[in-house]
Amino acid sequence: MKPERAVPGTLRRALSEVRRQRGASLGITAFATLLLVAIFADFLASPLPIYGAVRGHTYVLANVTRPPELQSMAHGELEQELSRGFALRALVRWGPAETSDAVLRPPLSASGHVLGTDSDGRDVLAVLAHGARVVVSFALLCVALLVAFGALVGALGGFFGGVFDAIVARSVETMTAFPTIVLVLAFQAMMPKASTLTLLLAISLTRWAEVARLVRAEVIAVSGQDYVLAARALGASPLRILVRYVFPNARAQALVSATFALATVILVEASCDFLGLGIEESSPTWGHLMAQARHHPAAWWLLAFPALALLGTVVSQNVVGEALRDALDPRGHAAAERPVDEAPGQGTASPSP
Amino acid sequence: MFRYALRRALWAIPTLIGVSLVVFLMTTLLPDPLAPYPTGGTSASSIDPSTFDKLTEERRSRFLDLPRFVNTDPRDVRILTDEYVGHIVADDDDATVSSRRLAALGGAALPHLLPRFDNLPAAGRKRVALALVPVARRMRRFDEGAFETEGDATLFWSRFWDDHSIDFTEPAAKRAVDRLVEHGGEEREQDLYLLDTFALPYLMAAMQRTDRRDALAQLARVAAHATDRDGSIPDDAQASTVRARQADWGAWWFVHEGDFVPFTGAERVAASVSQTRYAKWMLGAILGQLTSGSGEDLSLGDRLKRRGLLTLSLTFLAMLLSYGLAVPLGVISAYRKNRPVDRALAFGLFVIYALPSFVLGEICVNVFGLGHAAFFAVLTLAAGSVATLSRFQRAAVLEVLGSDYVRAARAKGVYGVRLLVVHALRNALMPMVTLAGVQIPTLIGGAFVVEEVFSLRGMGWETLRAIERHDSAWIVVAVLVTALLATFTLLASDVVHGLLDPRVRETLRRRGA
Repeated sequence: MKPERAVPGTLRRALSEVRRQRGASLGITAFATLLLVAIFADFLASPLPIYGAVRGHTYVLANVTRPPELQSMAHGELEQELSRGFALRALVRWGPAETSDAVLRPPLSASGHVLGTDSDGRDVLAVLAHGARVVVSFALLCVALLVAFGALVGALGGFFGGVFDAIVARSVETMTAFPTIVLVLAFQAMMPKASTLTLLLAISLTRWAEVARLVRAEVIAVSGQDYVLAARALGASPLRILVRYVFPNARAQALVSATFALATVILVEASCDFLGLGIEESSPTWGHLMAQARHHPAAWWLLAFPALALLGTVVSQNVVGEALRDALDPRGHAAAERPVDEAPGQGTASPSP
Repeated sequence: MFRYALRRALWAIPTLIGVSLVVFLMTTLLPDPLAPYPTGGTSASSIDPSTFDKLTEERRSRFLDLPRFVNTDPRDVRILTDEYVGHIVADDDDATVSSRRLAALGGAALPHLLPRFDNLPAAGRKRVALALVPVARRMRRFDEGAFETEGDATLFWSRFWDDHSIDFTEPAAKRAVDRLVEHGGEEREQDLYLLDTFALPYLMAAMQRTDRRDALAQLARVAAHATDRDGSIPDDAQASTVRARQADWGAWWFVHEGDFVPFTGAERVAASVSQTRYAKWMLGAILGQLTSGSGEDLSLGDRLKRRGLLTLSLTFLAMLLSYGLAVPLGVISAYRKNRPVDRALAFGLFVIYALPSFVLGEICVNVFGLGHAAFFAVLTLAAGSVATLSRFQRAAVLEVLGSDYVRAARAKGVYGVRLLVVHALRNALMPMVTLAGVQIPTLIGGAFVVEEVFSLRGMGWETLRAIERHDSAWIVVAVLVTALLATFTLLASDVVHGLLDPRVRETLRRRGA
């Protein structure tokens, strides 16, 4: 007996199922936190006040609007001005690009840098918070691009078959043959002017095949289903079948791949930053912090904190992705098998000798 | 069985072509060296001639002078000679450049020019004769007295062909080169100076055939003399330098062959495909001749051998280690499904999976000071794979445990470790074979990072240095080699899987693949 294949509405059911799982809901929470950090990075770390008066002028949300006259002020001067009256400050009073003489301070040192400073005297917490913004926006953009392309190519290939599908299948195999990091590095090296944009394109170009492969397999499976045959028998046009029956299934698969792709993209981007061929040095990222740790082995905080941030991000995305995949996989609903170590005739499970 | 393997191998061909296309298109990202200079035709008004020649040469070594995929107008020495002579006779804007280029074509152009030399209009003939003076000088036939007037030069070249046309034939040139290789000696070198560039095809063939250093040095000297290239092999050169020079000449000839050899018969037809940027590049990659002008002391092949060995062994050892760890771990997880052991393993492996290899590597190197222990490099590289593979192994074991034959074994009274290892694991190992093919690209990519962290001088390390010094030849080769390696391991793992599992062959046959 075959369980019913996904029909429109399955995605919603799967999502609610995922939300009920403890691990997955933790993952969703972690990812939501990361998103919040990314969005509100300016409230977490900024030298400029959220509310405060400087030289008789009251500023509101200066940390977001970043008035040039405040940005050009020296850090000490600004602090002095703000200490005169009431001021609502960001959690960390340093910006991600703000260098100082206090280089390589360990965490919780007297200087007030909670997570220490890097080799240019930047506050690590500030870099982490603003790095989250760079990393998340980069990964989301990249994944949107590669999933859109991969899903479209995969769905069309799987649906139309024939020569087009053969080309899709071969291209997918071709792209999977390249080690991602090698191809991305080579692209970055070959670009006349390597930048964040080229990195984005290079990673998308290398990783779309994975999405296309999964979506294509899903579409082929769906196209063989009885309800598609029934729709065809009722005279539905290929376009209608594609939009009404195939895309909803491909959408679920695309969502699963997107979740996994997000983790992969973040890892690849961090590796590229680490090797010095990633996002420009001027943007704060976790990878840049970790790259500094290479030259300053004693400064463990340069490696540990970004690594933890990366770990949390990747783990949460993978947990969500796995839960989503299991919820969408009809085989996952099958009754649990009997334990292996259950000897015949025994009523309850007990450890075997 | 053999037919299955063959069929699978044939399916890899489009993939290989795809791989080459991707890398080829990547090379077209590199900027055209002549792009900043607006040039019209062959005249280079905005830059001085020597820079122009250098950039043109750089362009040619990347085949940028050829069309991408189809060449409707392939040019060989005959067509080039006609074109240059046409410009010189007409005395148009391109005449100066054409004179220089005709002189560079040298002896190879003579058989296409001198037989109809007397038919040229008198004024044009004089200009052509003067343009060929550098050739006469190279041939050591330059006698100051003989060139006092323009008429003398014309007369010289008319006579020259009467006297020497017999030398400018394939058998004669071949014999001259063979004699030089076999016996050496000053006079035989002089004989070849007379042939100038006409002898190049035979010199190059001889150079690839022999590995005697004295012969190589002599051949290189003659070739360098005819082409004005600096490609001589010093007497005290090391073996690797000799090989590098040999490869350099091979690469140069690969780019410039059309300047000195006429395409005849079928070659003319084939040239429309073979004389294209893609075909030349691809063939060059296959023959290992993409090094021209990289200025390295070691040939690309030597560097690849030296660096590739380390990366390969790193990858291979990591592969062994990860399978050695992942299979037992996966089986234990499946055996203790959803018990504390399984949960702990899942969590631990998940953390390892989520940490990028460079973080693990940095922890080994910086925190524990294990930077010089190659074993930890292998371990770091294997860590990610262990996590992935053991999850797959767990799922595979669980799936097999749900199958009918396991139920039959249970009914027979088998349980516990015996059921697991003897009955279930045999089949549960099957999907792991296919995974091996997929793991290779991941591991190679990981090796590139791990080498950098542990300062191991493999391909990854070399590639990062190549990126620093803009050595695109190496980058291209590194990408190509890793992709080819991955394609072949994928192929191998599929074939092995097919050999082990009859169902795979059956499916493939039904699909008509």
